[in-house]
Amino acid sequence: MASPYEVQRTDAETKLAVRGSLDINTAPQLAEEIDKIIASKPKKVTVDLAGLDLIDSSGVAALVKLYKGVRSSGGALAMIGARDQPLEIFKLLRMDKVFNL
Amino acid sequence: MAAPIRLIVPGTLRYRAIAVRLVAESARLVSQSARQDPKNPLANEVRDPFDTAVVSAFAEIFNNVAVHAYKRRDAGAIEIAITPSDRELLIELTDHGDPFDIDEVAPLPAELDETTLPEGGMGIHIAKTMLDEMTYEPGPPNQWRLRKVLPATRAVSNGRS
Repeated sequence: MASPYEVQRTDAETKLAVRGSLDINTAPQLAEEIDKIIASKPKKVTVDLAGLDLIDSSGVAALVKLYKGVRSSGGALAMIGARDQPLEIFKLLRMDKVFNL
Repeated sequence: MAAPIRLIVPGTLRYRAIAVRLVAESARLVSQSARQDPKNPLANEVRDPFDTAVVSAFAEIFNNVAVHAYKRRDAGAIEIAITPSDRELLIELTDHGDPFDIDEVAPLPAELDETTLPEGGMGIHIAKTMLDEMTYEPGPPNQWRLRKVLPATRAVSNGRS
């Protein structure tokens, strides 16, 4: 099975692209990467959701954890590219405004 | 009315994708939504609003049963009955795991910001908000009833006036 995410790191930015389905079965894989990203205290993180087809509350929780972790160490996080079902879920949870989606 | 579509799967997350795919296809029977990529019938994409609501809600309830009723153990089955009609989809789930108190599920914070963003407890809220009707009868057996109605404008455009 293809990895549900891809990470690219530079000195200036960490880019996380999430694709496919981010759900209760796949979120634990991403959670390990999220812990690594948070531990690196990045100044800027961009989460690209353009390739994400489906998300559930477990997937949302993983992204919330990343957002809080990056912000708590003074970094900035931007989420881009959310569409279709994932965007509807963020709107329903009223997180679209927090994440500027 | 046609007989319900029935699926019985072990109540673990391993079988979630099978159940979700069946529900997505059942939703398409009602919404008559087209696939974005007809050459890829296994694609996970769900774009139609009706399909989105049904799949999102069902996935959360399946998670709930596997995690809370069956405690992530292979401890029983989930019986799923799906009844599509011209204007609505009814999904009934039955499990024989532990019941839970749905009234204890906390609502979302009134104001969301960096400090109040929830990291859990969102599943029931998603399901309830996405559906026209959601009921839970604790058991055993525990019984969920999920109902989504196709908006009247969609029914007309689908030739179901």
